[in-house]
Amino acid sequence: MISDIAFSAIRISTPLIFAALGGLFTFQAGMLNIALDGFMIVAAFAAIAAAYISGSLAVGVLAGILAGMLMAALMALFNLRFRAHIFIVGIAVTFLAYGLTALLLKSLLGQDGVFASDAIPTFPAIDIPFVADIPVVGPLASGHTLLVYVAYLAIPVVHWWLYRTRWGLRVRVVGEAEDAARAAGIPVERVKFQTMLLSGLFCGLAGAYLSLGYVSLFAKQMNNDRGLIALAAIFFAKGRPVRTAAVAVLFGLATALSVRLPQVTGAAPQLLELIPYLVTILAMVIVGIRTTRDNALNGSWRFDQ
Amino acid sequence: MSVSESETSLPKQAGLPGMRILKPLAGPVLAVVISFVIGGLLVAALGQDPVAVYRLLIEGSLVGWANLSVTLQMTTPLIFTGLAVALSFRSGIWNIGVEGQMLMGALAAGIVGYAADLPPLLHAPACILAAALGGALWAAIPALLRVYLNVNELVICLMLNPTALLVTGYISTRVLKAPGPTNKLPDIADAARLTNYSIFSQLNTGIFIAIACCVAIAVFNRVTVRGYEWKLIGLNSRFAHYGGVNVRRNVIGVMLVSGAIGGLAGAEQVLGVYGAFYDNFSPGYGFDGIAVAMLAHSHPIGVMLAAFLFGALDSGSSVLQMQMGISKYLVQVLQFIVVLILAAQFSFGWLDRHRKRQAAGAPAAAPGEQPGPTPADR
Repeated sequence: MISDIAFSAIRISTPLIFAALGGLFTFQAGMLNIALDGFMIVAAFAAIAAAYISGSLAVGVLAGILAGMLMAALMALFNLRFRAHIFIVGIAVTFLAYGLTALLLKSLLGQDGVFASDAIPTFPAIDIPFVADIPVVGPLASGHTLLVYVAYLAIPVVHWWLYRTRWGLRVRVVGEAEDAARAAGIPVERVKFQTMLLSGLFCGLAGAYLSLGYVSLFAKQMNNDRGLIALAAIFFAKGRPVRTAAVAVLFGLATALSVRLPQVTGAAPQLLELIPYLVTILAMVIVGIRTTRDNALNGSWRFDQ
Repeated sequence: MSVSESETSLPKQAGLPGMRILKPLAGPVLAVVISFVIGGLLVAALGQDPVAVYRLLIEGSLVGWANLSVTLQMTTPLIFTGLAVALSFRSGIWNIGVEGQMLMGALAAGIVGYAADLPPLLHAPACILAAALGGALWAAIPALLRVYLNVNELVICLMLNPTALLVTGYISTRVLKAPGPTNKLPDIADAARLTNYSIFSQLNTGIFIAIACCVAIAVFNRVTVRGYEWKLIGLNSRFAHYGGVNVRRNVIGVMLVSGAIGGLAGAEQVLGVYGAFYDNFSPGYGFDGIAVAMLAHSHPIGVMLAAFLFGALDSGSSVLQMQMGISKYLVQVLQFIVVLILAAQFSFGWLDRHRKRQAAGAPAAAPGEQPGPTPADR
């Protein structure tokens, strides 16, 4: 039972990790990208449509990534080039994505709410040799599909990317002090554009995993606000990759529990689903209290704080 | 950085008096036209005749009382939510939590509607008042956090929307669930129902309340000192502060009124359309309100026009789906292309003014600066 829940928590948190990693690039570059859900749903649709037509998983995943990056490019174009407020663009892109996928679902695949077919290839479960034989860890860590491992391996890679490379330093400088970065000759817009594309890439993986790896179907709004939960994880962990991923796993565990616990105890699933949102609000309140107090101690008083 | 009041807040330029009214209309009209062209290309790409689609869209939403009454019914919640969002945008505050405020208002109206035992003349007003209170209380959370702890209201609103959905879902499926298979509260008393005006739709008195709210807010904005202060904190909160405006109190005031209007959207749905609180009843009116407010340039009277346009598109899209088999989501695509274009257009204007001001050597204070710094805002 418990290992069952842990196993499904690992699966459930996979799209959250992908989306959170994608979102933290833009977060670190000082952009509040709320369109993660939009990138994800378009990617999920593109992935399953491409996999259905070509019969190839690789083509499907690639199409998902491309679709995610395309939406990200649209967002970057309007925000960085046309100077539209990132927040309005984020909302517009998200709802555009929901509308577009539901429209294409009907027009291209002729389905109304859900698309599923036997022609869609599925990911095989991978048993890792040796690891699978370890008593407790083995059954948990082994037997997942490829994208699950990619998600967990991406966490250290993203950490290295942001904290050990020149490019990562630039991203963080842009996020911390944009004017200083510009004065230092860093091409701020280009760096921001790159982080946005990476957001699209990771959300593309998240979407592809949702429709091809997690289940083998597409349903409109199947992302189920996962982008928002990923955003919550980013806010809670202030965009640090390892911590963000850890919070995403915790949120995934809460989701896994919200699926299982009601069957056993009869509790309402809504109450456990509330956790990510309430935790985020609480975290922001605590951060708010702390900074307000610090500012008062430092004497840096402002009327609007 | 505010989305509000782009053209209207500028010093009036000399010219024909008619130009003053027409000029702010040019942007939104152009955006709508461009998005319709893009939508037409999309329809053609999907193998349908765009002209036929648009003709059916217009006929299905405007021709005949049956179609028109559906349009007006769809318009009503959009006026409320659009007005709620517009009010906050005008003051440089991001109330994107209208969806949640509407759900909370609807829940309050639904509870008072069946649980209270009031005489006919008082029951509906009591429900409406409860809804306004419910919405205002839900909006008070981001408002207070914003003002006293400087927490980004945008993120809090973003988190409060699903919270409201889950909380109302919990109450309507577990706590106060009506007997039966549907997840809803018990039906409200007949005395609490709003009068229905059409046998073809659920068009009800709510639309008059919505219009009255728009007119009242328009007058309030134009006539009262408080209305001017609300505009001022949107234009430049720091300047407003040094001018003697209590920014904190006004931000809270704006959010409470905005939330209350959002709550009214919920009351209209429960008292006029469904007759009970249903779990997950909203197709996203609160988010459509953002699009409406954008199209309306955050002006209350503009909200009515924008809401009518979006309402017509919504009701026409149902006809489109039934008769031509085209997904009704085509309209959602159109609506948010409009928002994208409008967002870009506005910022061109902002940039130009910014440049002009810099060229003139004056300090480049951004009009519509938010009250306080927003972390990770842009």
